[in-house]
Amino acid sequence: MTSSSAGKTSILQASGLRKTYGSGDDAVVAVDGIDFEIERGTVVGLLGPNGAGKTTTIKLLLGLIEPDDGTVQIDDIDPISNPKAGYDRVSAMLEGARNVYWRLTVRENLRFFARLADQPADPDRIEALLEQVGLVEKADEPVNDLSRGMKQKASLACTLIRETPLAFLDEPTLGLDVESSLELRRQLRSLVETESRTIVLSSHDMDVIEAVCDRVIIMNEGRIVADNPLEDLLDVFRAQSYRLTLASGVSAEGRTALERKFGATAWEERDGKVLVTIPNVQSAEFYDLVETLRMHSCRVLSIEPAAQNLERVFLDLTGGQASAAESRRTDPTTDAAERPLEDALGEGDL
Amino acid sequence: MSRAGRTGLVAAVVEKELLILRRYWINTLMRLVGFYLFFAVIFFGGQAAGGESFDGTLDGLVVGFFLFLAVTAAYYDVAGNVMREAQWGTLEQLFMSPFGIGRVLLAKTAFNVAFSTVIAMALLAVMLVTTDRTLTVDPVTIIPLLVVTIFPAIGLGFVFAGLSLLYKRIENIQQLLQFAFIGLIAAPGAIDSTILYVVPFSLGSELLADAMIDSLALWDFDPIVLGALLVNALAYFLGGYAVFTVFVRRARRLGVMGHY
Repeated sequence: MTSSSAGKTSILQASGLRKTYGSGDDAVVAVDGIDFEIERGTVVGLLGPNGAGKTTTIKLLLGLIEPDDGTVQIDDIDPISNPKAGYDRVSAMLEGARNVYWRLTVRENLRFFARLADQPADPDRIEALLEQVGLVEKADEPVNDLSRGMKQKASLACTLIRETPLAFLDEPTLGLDVESSLELRRQLRSLVETESRTIVLSSHDMDVIEAVCDRVIIMNEGRIVADNPLEDLLDVFRAQSYRLTLASGVSAEGRTALERKFGATAWEERDGKVLVTIPNVQSAEFYDLVETLRMHSCRVLSIEPAAQNLERVFLDLTGGQASAAESRRTDPTTDAAERPLEDALGEGDL
Repeated sequence: MSRAGRTGLVAAVVEKELLILRRYWINTLMRLVGFYLFFAVIFFGGQAAGGESFDGTLDGLVVGFFLFLAVTAAYYDVAGNVMREAQWGTLEQLFMSPFGIGRVLLAKTAFNVAFSTVIAMALLAVMLVTTDRTLTVDPVTIIPLLVVTIFPAIGLGFVFAGLSLLYKRIENIQQLLQFAFIGLIAAPGAIDSTILYVVPFSLGSELLADAMIDSLALWDFDPIVLGALLVNALAYFLGGYAVFTVFVRRARRLGVMGHY
């Protein structure tokens, strides 16, 4: 059993993991020296834009790809040098539905994958799992005949039948329509609660991460750019970004003071009012902000904390490399993205 | 790893392979029909072109073709299985078994050898009916010789499976291999050299012909020759598997194991 620095038990530790594909001028750094721990019994989301290094990271952790450098420990076993021992403890659903035999029925797949993992093909366990993922009625149909959402569920069930304490789910909702994604999300959360497993879930789908995960690791260009409990990540941004509406007539000195001390930005005059975003306020500095406004006779009409969701946080941290980049441009709080991440999250968060 | 666990693995692999054969029954059937048609073309074509002189070589042709069927079936089962698993996205799942990819593939190989032997025996019966010939088919002699002779095909299958992990589409090279197999199986009729002890299939082909045409039993053979056949088989099988593990390691290093 491994302990993390916080005193809680960790099931997985990755240290200095690095992977480069190709060589010379063509070399691409897929994972660039990442370190993290996963605590037992948590659900951790791995989030990042295309090419951020999520899948490579998962495959490195699973020993399916050899790193150039770095170590992985799963329950004190190195799955890279000793894969057989590691696979008692870890399973994975990779690339959505492409993990199961499409010509076999769901039940036949479950029977096979249970025994592949040195577990008995226990009919009661199989039945319970079929019920959990909502495939009882489709249990005896070939996977090939199922809808995409059901294929994903079959794949998920085949991962869970391995009964490993740690499971990786790489893009479990990839390609699903909204309804199927919502249903799978509900089932994932329910599985997490009933199965008491540690799950690392990678997804482009921020709603899935937000609905299911306790903690989020955000990757960009092969590096971890944020690693926080989900709520903290949202709170940090909530607390730091404010949209102020001031009465007109803000002095040049007042404007300079706000810009210098708090990084005030996105100045805008509208209907005789001045709107400004203050993106850099730690909670203890809030009163200092109010005092600065008072000193420079800035009459505050309203202060609104900028609404945050995981998508906004993600876009800020990754520099907006996602499809919602366009909407970010129209949002007054997005200048926070220009801020160094260390400022946003504080020391020790990275 | 418990004995029950290993038995469970073998049962799981056999069950899955049988189910896949059944679900892909058209493929399985077409393969058997294809083998028979290939033989029929040679047989009827040979008879038409060679007349009575062809009859003199017919027993050798049937035995050679019987071995060719078994060898190619074993080779394609191993090489093709790994490629198909990579295409289906299930190879990485097999790799993530606590039994290790080696044991999983060994279980598949045991099934493949048994299946190849059954296919070859079934088609031998059909070939004998087609040609109206009589050969000695003593299972106690034929099956051990056949199984040992096809082991190098499994080793070569592993080599090409490993190559396909790295270089993907290599079917064209594989098709050329069939001609090499025919040459090696036919070699004892053309040359008499110690090279037959070194290359795959040739010695086994000669011994099978002696057993089936000249009715020799297993204990009639020189033990040193049988030992040479066994060493040859193990060398190719273990060598092929060792090369496969090197290729798997390289595929892991390049990050291309599950790609296809």
